[in-house]
Amino acid sequence: MEGASHQRFPTVKIRELKDDYAKFELRDTDASIANALRRVMIAEVPTIAIDLVEIEVNSSVLNDEFIAHRLGLIPLTSERAMSMRFSRDCDACDGDGQCEYCSVEFHLRAKCLNDQTLDVTTRDLMSSDPSVVPVDFADSSSGFDNPENRGIIIVKLRRGQELRLRAIARKGIGKDHAKWSPAATVTFMYEPEIHINDDMLETLAIEDRISLAESSPTKVYDYDPITNRVVVVDPEAYTYDDEVIKKCESLKVPGLIEIHPKEDSFIFTVESTGAIKASQLVLNAIDILKQKLDAVRLSEDTVEADDQFGELGAHMRGG
Amino acid sequence: MNTILWFGKPEVYPPQKERLVRTMQEALYPIECRQAKISYTGKFMMDICFQYDDGAVIREKFNFGQFPIMLKSKLCYLRNAPPKKLVSFKEEPSEMGGYFILNGLERVIRLLILPKRNYPMSMVRNSFRERREGYTDKAVVIRCVREDQSAVSVKLYYLSNGSARLGFWIQGREYLLPVGVILKALTDTTDHEIYICLTSSYDENYEKYDRVKGSVGTQLVGERAKIILDEVQELSLFTRNQCLQHIGEHFQPVMIGLENENHVVVADAVLKDYIFVHLDNNHDKFNLLIFMLQKLFSLVDQTSMPDNPDSLQNQEVLLPGHLIIIYLKEKLQEWLLKVKNLLQNETDNSKKFDFNSLADIKKVIEKNYPKQISSAIENMLKTGTLVTQSGLDLQQRAGMTVQAERLNFLRFLSHFRAVHRGSSFAGLRTTSVRKLLPESWGFLCPVHTPDGEPCGLLNHMSSSCRITSYYDTKGNVRDFLKTRMSVLSVLVSVGMTPSLPKLVQAGPPKVLSVLLDGRIVGSIPSDLVEKAVIHIRRLKLSATSLIPEDLELGYIPLSMCGAYPGLFLSTSPSRFVRPVRNISIPPEESNKIELIGPFEQVYMEISCPDGGDGGRKNMFPASHEEIHPTGILSVVANLTPWSDHNQSPRNMYQCQMGKQTMGFPSQTLNCRADQKLYHLQTPQTPIVRTKAYEKYNIDELPLGTNAIVAVLAYSGYDMEDAMVLNKSSVERGMFHGHIYQTETIDLTEQSSNSDRAQRIFRRSNLDKSSHHLIDSDGLPYVGQRIKPNEPYCSIYNEITSSTSSTKLKGSEPAVVDYVAVDVKNKKNLQKVNIRFRRPRNPVIGDKFSSRHGQKGVCSQLWSDVDMPFSGVTGMRPDLIINPHAFPSRMTIAMLLESIAAKGGALHGKFMDATPFTSLLKEGNEGQKSESSSLVDELGSSLTAYGFNYHGSEVLYSGVYGTELTCEIFIGPVYYQRLRHMVSDKFQVRSTGTVDQITRQPIKGRKRGGGIRFGEMERDSLLAHGAAYLLHDRLHTSSDHHIADVCSICGSILTTSLIQTQQRAVREIVGLPPGRIPKKVMCIACQTSKGMETVAMPYVFRYLAAELAAMNIKMTLQLSNEAGG
Repeated sequence: MEGASHQRFPTVKIRELKDDYAKFELRDTDASIANALRRVMIAEVPTIAIDLVEIEVNSSVLNDEFIAHRLGLIPLTSERAMSMRFSRDCDACDGDGQCEYCSVEFHLRAKCLNDQTLDVTTRDLMSSDPSVVPVDFADSSSGFDNPENRGIIIVKLRRGQELRLRAIARKGIGKDHAKWSPAATVTFMYEPEIHINDDMLETLAIEDRISLAESSPTKVYDYDPITNRVVVVDPEAYTYDDEVIKKCESLKVPGLIEIHPKEDSFIFTVESTGAIKASQLVLNAIDILKQKLDAVRLSEDTVEADDQFGELGAHMRGG
Repeated sequence: MNTILWFGKPEVYPPQKERLVRTMQEALYPIECRQAKISYTGKFMMDICFQYDDGAVIREKFNFGQFPIMLKSKLCYLRNAPPKKLVSFKEEPSEMGGYFILNGLERVIRLLILPKRNYPMSMVRNSFRERREGYTDKAVVIRCVREDQSAVSVKLYYLSNGSARLGFWIQGREYLLPVGVILKALTDTTDHEIYICLTSSYDENYEKYDRVKGSVGTQLVGERAKIILDEVQELSLFTRNQCLQHIGEHFQPVMIGLENENHVVVADAVLKDYIFVHLDNNHDKFNLLIFMLQKLFSLVDQTSMPDNPDSLQNQEVLLPGHLIIIYLKEKLQEWLLKVKNLLQNETDNSKKFDFNSLADIKKVIEKNYPKQISSAIENMLKTGTLVTQSGLDLQQRAGMTVQAERLNFLRFLSHFRAVHRGSSFAGLRTTSVRKLLPESWGFLCPVHTPDGEPCGLLNHMSSSCRITSYYDTKGNVRDFLKTRMSVLSVLVSVGMTPSLPKLVQAGPPKVLSVLLDGRIVGSIPSDLVEKAVIHIRRLKLSATSLIPEDLELGYIPLSMCGAYPGLFLSTSPSRFVRPVRNISIPPEESNKIELIGPFEQVYMEISCPDGGDGGRKNMFPASHEEIHPTGILSVVANLTPWSDHNQSPRNMYQCQMGKQTMGFPSQTLNCRADQKLYHLQTPQTPIVRTKAYEKYNIDELPLGTNAIVAVLAYSGYDMEDAMVLNKSSVERGMFHGHIYQTETIDLTEQSSNSDRAQRIFRRSNLDKSSHHLIDSDGLPYVGQRIKPNEPYCSIYNEITSSTSSTKLKGSEPAVVDYVAVDVKNKKNLQKVNIRFRRPRNPVIGDKFSSRHGQKGVCSQLWSDVDMPFSGVTGMRPDLIINPHAFPSRMTIAMLLESIAAKGGALHGKFMDATPFTSLLKEGNEGQKSESSSLVDELGSSLTAYGFNYHGSEVLYSGVYGTELTCEIFIGPVYYQRLRHMVSDKFQVRSTGTVDQITRQPIKGRKRGGGIRFGEMERDSLLAHGAAYLLHDRLHTSSDHHIADVCSICGSILTTSLIQTQQRAVREIVGLPPGRIPKKVMCIACQTSKGMETVAMPYVFRYLAAELAAMNIKMTLQLSNEAGG
């Protein structure tokens, strides 16, 4: 490392975008940035989740803690989350987290009166804020379209059993508790570059070529019966499992196929829990990443305070 | 006057609640007993009958107390109740019964190994030699069991002079009689007859060709017979009557109740009550004694082998009902004897006593507390100890019952399948009893035995093993006499010569003796016997014949110096049996499942589908076949997936850990009041499971979670069997659990009799500090969270008008889950159960295990983002274990499980992991080369979904985002959470209470004590040369003490603090105060000169005091450091 960093201008190309799913390419950057983005999406993008439950009546078969835990894990629509306050630094309510700036109140009242088992679901959860409600999967086009969609089941009640509670939802991040994590899955992979050495392919028998194309567990290669060649159909399906390379070796043609990961291109897959849209999740993550970097940039102004930070300050300024 | 006393018409009634109003009868259900901590008992009534001389019989009913009732027995309300009804009784829908409820605890009678009944066993033991002078180490022993299950063992010892002695126990003493006397006393016989009988096993013709296969007699038998007969003559006993007189004379003092009878009657009683009690006929006894003598002589001549008493072949089991019945019999006998003595005393002493007055007799009987009978049984079940004079012919008197813990279903179930060898063997130095012998194949599980102290002594029955009882498979009570008669008639029809009226005068090579339940019923020519056995086996299977299906046909064939030959049939209860398929009968017969016992199994040809022929080649074709190889494993061992791919000790460990798993203990959790219940909040059904899993419905009470397990060394926190858990997974509910703990507060129990009923549950109106915790009834609010040392229950004493409260013990908060009150007492509440719930979510230090004996401790809750992730699916593992867990332990099945579960999860189906199935496949198809291996099958199911064939995946570091250098083996594995949790175990102390006497820190976690820094720890510090640290641990941080020592007399005990008079010394300003004058003086020397202070452990002073108490004076010689 010379020290002189090579400034780059990362680009994003969106491939696919649904409410709860996004796939995009991130180019011209390195693994640290890509991973930072992933980590922020999972652990640091804020959402709203039920954090405090006051149980008034609970005669269900599940105990209080269990129900409280289940309520906490319900994804709530959290578009508001970025603008909301954390209750720990809310001025309006002295940090007890019961004001409109930092909390949303929910009520649940359910009692089973007949012999049929009553499913208490997220539909029964009444919110004080119409913008913060349990995520409704029926509306999303995620393939969750059950005609009788009744939301997420919290508990089942039998005749005479009752559940009555008040719940406070607050803003939080996935680092503190997994219930605040907006991301179901965030992953990226290096874009592979696959080269097939056609000259070497010539030396192979037809059956070997077919078996070579089939050796990959994922559909990366195909055998073209017209040209008698193995062609790459979907390089991104490659999982870096080296199966094809091993196959080449077993066919005594090492180097027939060469695969190199592109060190500066990543393919991201983001799945959201539904709390915020996948696209928003990425944007929020970038925002938060910038905010975090702000903290580093701040030290630019702290040259005077060098004695306070010592070598660290100089280091952060790139010295 | 001659009075006869006897019992009649015993009756036990179903459990009933105690009510003040007698007419009100209300059923008492098991759940009520569990909650109220009372016993599930029914009233036991019995008639006592009297007859004076030949007068009319007088009957009077007496209450013999409350007799414990076994759950699901005939008198239990749960009998034949369908699952729905059981649920309405607040019982488990799958309740199986078989245990007792005593004081709210569920107790099971242990199955105990006993010697096989009514079978003469030849034994060689050095202890026999020590009996008396002239005894050898050889004997033939028979444990005779009466119809009422009481047993008397008889030993036939061989003497070095060629004779034999019959030994039996009366009232804790062994009596030894010459066999000749007994032989002559049993029947009217002649010396010649006895001689012929004894020598019948020896045939001179065989002697010509040296030894013939199966001949057991030798020339010496005749000599010995002469010695036996001479012995009798030396005692000048010639006739049967003389022998009886002789026996009667000697045994009169020990035969209770026969003091006034003549000698012949006494002798008859001795023969009846102590010798071969399973036989009621003296001819049969005579024949059996002859048989035993022949067996003994054959043992001595080494023409037959001794039987192994440790082998299952010669063993049976003690059943709960049998134990109770023999104990009850003894107690009733004792009681009746006492009644008799009391009546005797009464008639002798008091003039007023009238035999014909029922009231008088009733008074005497009530004086002897008839209720003690039931309470004796109850106490036996409660404590597991037998209080008995005779010992009941059992090896042990304690540990007959154990508590059936409902930690989880497997543990509960195992209590009923466990078979114990007997606690007398636990202390034995030799390990021979613990050995796994081939005879127990199929009956006892080779895997399911604990390691450590009870290893090999506590076994578990295999899943297919059963025990015969008084009931046949259809549930009807057996008529043993009838079955014996039908077996006998079949035997005769296949060529047996009946022994009555006279024993056949021939021996083993030619004919074999036939014993039916320990009775010599005849002899069968040895060339016919094999056909006969096959014929009877066929009859066993047919439904129409009267031969019971679990008849044991122990045919011991002729051999060169093998086991003593014969045909031993038994129909008795409490034998082990297991089903095998009979393949020698024609295929048109439908029923082919035969029940066989361990005794006959040894001599049968049973093929096991292991791909081989079992070494029998074509010489001995198999007549039977195992139904499935997993039949040899216990229920718990059957649940381990692919246990045939694991190293065997790992399967044993799993059997142990499966029983310590936190799972779903009961479906009636809300009604239970157990001391402690472990509960896993979100259990799952395993993706990879064996057939047994479904068969035993483990899904009803599951015990684990499918966790995504990655095998890699990551973060360094997974070394040495530690495991890293994903924090987010845990936060989402993985392995969350609770402990339910019930506290019973019984006011009647705590208080003395004086202030009973004056204590009630009520809270104080004056002190409102605990009102947020305790309701107006003095009990806590349900759902209330209570911190340590906060009160949860308040008791008001009406006499002192003071309130006291019960405080929560421990160091962590608990939630009140349930409060149950005992409303039996209408007036005031006296007894409550308060159930607490303590959360037990995974923390660092909790123990987890897979189903393959791979246990580990959680070392870190690692954040989700730092976990490695898959580039393709984005999956992060729930759990990381270290690859070093595999090479030395060789738990291949765990790897297979991971691959299979991954495939199963992708395909959306459960995977069958029954062990040995590949062997069955090979056996059936008969083609080995073509069949694909298990790994191939599993691998291809992964490749179908684009995953790596071997179950590995490319993972990226969660911290750096770079690809990990190698592919990581990852997949779902069913993990169990074990009950050992740090929250229940951690122990820490800085300062705290010290012992009163020694001033050293106390021990014990509960009391806030420390952990002992013991001798070995001391040694290690010494070895390191860390003397200062050692001094700190053992002295400064322990009982550091500065003592005043008198250097003149050297005593530390005579020094005493003396009051210094306050001298008015004026303090000079600016100068330090003058030296404080000495305040200590020696009482003995009467001076304070020479007082020194010495630092020492306080125990040293205590030692000096203790020594002084023994008149030993300890003096100290003080010197400075230079040693001057």
